[in-house]
Amino acid sequence: MISKPVVVAVMLFMIGCGKQSSSEGPRKFTVGMSQCNLGEPWRVQMNADIKAAAEKHPELNLVFKDAQNDTLKQRAHVEEFVSAGVDALIISPKESQPLTEPVAKAYQGKIPVIVLDRAVQGDQFTCFIGADNRAIGRAAGEWIKNKLGGKGNVVELKGLMTSTPAQDRHAGFREGIERSELKVIFEADMKWLEPDARKEMDSALARFDKIDAVYAHNDPGAHGAYLAARAAGREKQMLFVGIDALPHEGVAYVNQGILNATFQYPTGGGEAVDAVLKILKGETVPKNITLSSRSFTPENSGAK
Amino acid sequence: MTPAERIGAMRQGGAAASRMLAAPLIRAGVALALVIAVGIIFHADGAFFKVATHRDAFRQGSVFGILACGMTVVVISGGIDLAVGSILALVAVSFSVMSIWWQWPAGAAVVASLAVGTACGVISGGLVAKLRLQPFIATLAMMVFARGLAKTFSGGTKVSTAIPRPGGSFDYAQIPEVFRWIDSRTLGGNVSMVTMIFAVTLLVSWIALERHRWGRELYAIGGNEEAARLSGVPVGLSKTLAYAFCGLTAAVAALCQAAQEQQGDPEAGAGYELTAIAIVVVGGTTLTGARGGIGFTLIGTITIGYLDKILSINAVPEASRLMLTGAIIVGAVLAQRRGRT
Repeated sequence: MISKPVVVAVMLFMIGCGKQSSSEGPRKFTVGMSQCNLGEPWRVQMNADIKAAAEKHPELNLVFKDAQNDTLKQRAHVEEFVSAGVDALIISPKESQPLTEPVAKAYQGKIPVIVLDRAVQGDQFTCFIGADNRAIGRAAGEWIKNKLGGKGNVVELKGLMTSTPAQDRHAGFREGIERSELKVIFEADMKWLEPDARKEMDSALARFDKIDAVYAHNDPGAHGAYLAARAAGREKQMLFVGIDALPHEGVAYVNQGILNATFQYPTGGGEAVDAVLKILKGETVPKNITLSSRSFTPENSGAK
Repeated sequence: MTPAERIGAMRQGGAAASRMLAAPLIRAGVALALVIAVGIIFHADGAFFKVATHRDAFRQGSVFGILACGMTVVVISGGIDLAVGSILALVAVSFSVMSIWWQWPAGAAVVASLAVGTACGVISGGLVAKLRLQPFIATLAMMVFARGLAKTFSGGTKVSTAIPRPGGSFDYAQIPEVFRWIDSRTLGGNVSMVTMIFAVTLLVSWIALERHRWGRELYAIGGNEEAARLSGVPVGLSKTLAYAFCGLTAAVAALCQAAQEQQGDPEAGAGYELTAIAIVVVGGTTLTGARGGIGFTLIGTITIGYLDKILSINAVPEASRLMLTGAIIVGAVLAQRRGRT
């Protein structure tokens, strides 16, 4: 039988070895990234942005988890990261309320937490990074107003109107076209889906002979509207404006001459990695970082 | 006259007037006529009377109609196929990868895509017929599996003409000719090609069900599977073929979907299986099997398609659309049931 002291000695030896090997070379940091749903292209892009930014820093070891649009699964992922003792946590939460407490527990356990895109409640996190959908909607409205000289008929194809991004993109747009003679003659909920956008645009085209611009809450929606107008032979008569500006969607559509403009909804992936690096170096980061958006039009994105 | 005789006479008189209405196909037509009447009343500033509105209503209904053809065949055999929406996504992705990324010739891409869909159907059918899984379970499993396969095959993003290159930049490909052809119009610009594809699918399904031995076998299986087996019907083979046919029609619908979206979206077709089932049921085919046919499915497709179009041209808010659609499905099915007591 092996005596207790021997076991203790062996364990101490193993711990000692572990310590020794980790003290060789620069320290590695493990960063957990909890993504709520990789079914959305924009979130795939967010992960890609984080990965691209982290690749420049070999000291970072990123672990990605995808909650597949399931709040409780995401909660479990956060708890797993905490018990694994990650050095920092990035989370893009599916919902605010149910994830507030798990995030707060991680934060109270001295793990820096970067919250991306959707906020959690209270202030129990290190840093929130997000873009302002209302401001982006306003910018789109103002762009259309300037382009049309403040006059014309507009079709608005809305995202799922029970979601806050759609509500903000709608409200911002209406602010952007205030005090002009732009009229929204047709609006419909296309639920972020391209086939639905095409269907609704077909109806708008059947109903109105003069349409000057289409504003869709996302780029697939604007693309669907373009396809409907093209089928009716009317795509040259109107402007098509979308939001998100993903490289393979909106920006590609602008480069192909399909959309007249798309407004970027930045993922914040790169900024999140920057914030993590600063925190790990002991620097402080602001509690709230609002990402700036840019527009892509044939004039400014043609070079790319 | 005794009271009983009087009732009998009344029944005869009434039967003469309602015999017409009792014919199931006429019944299904009544639901359609009601929907069209709604369209004539709420014509949205005359938009309902434009040719383009009707052409588009048929175009938009075609993908669902094609799915419903395969669904009808399965439902008549007493089964159900929940996987058609996911198979649609898988085939749309496959078709786009083959046509856009790999630049395959149109014929090869179409045949290979149809084979992918049929293979999924054969697997579902095998699970049902050979391994005796319940159709609901077997096709539910295929539904999640095919969706996962579509996401794997596409790398989790839409397969579009912007082809990603290592390093984050993009190559821009032309939209394949076959996409343009499927999304074009024919007969002087009055009928969409996808509607023609729907018509061909209807015809093939009708011949299979009404004019072919296999179709009669499916009706027999749907009515009483054990009796069919005892009278020498190859039950396993016929059922497997029904799911294979459903997979094939899902693949045909996928070609139309991908061509109209100009991309293969791994998220496409979510919930389409329910629309296809709704079309089958609103038409008048019963979910318990053996009753109904392709003619009903045609009427069901037009009914649901027009309902959707009328709600859309009137810009009815989403919440009301859902409630109205639910109410009309119940109404149409109740009308069906009264037609065959």
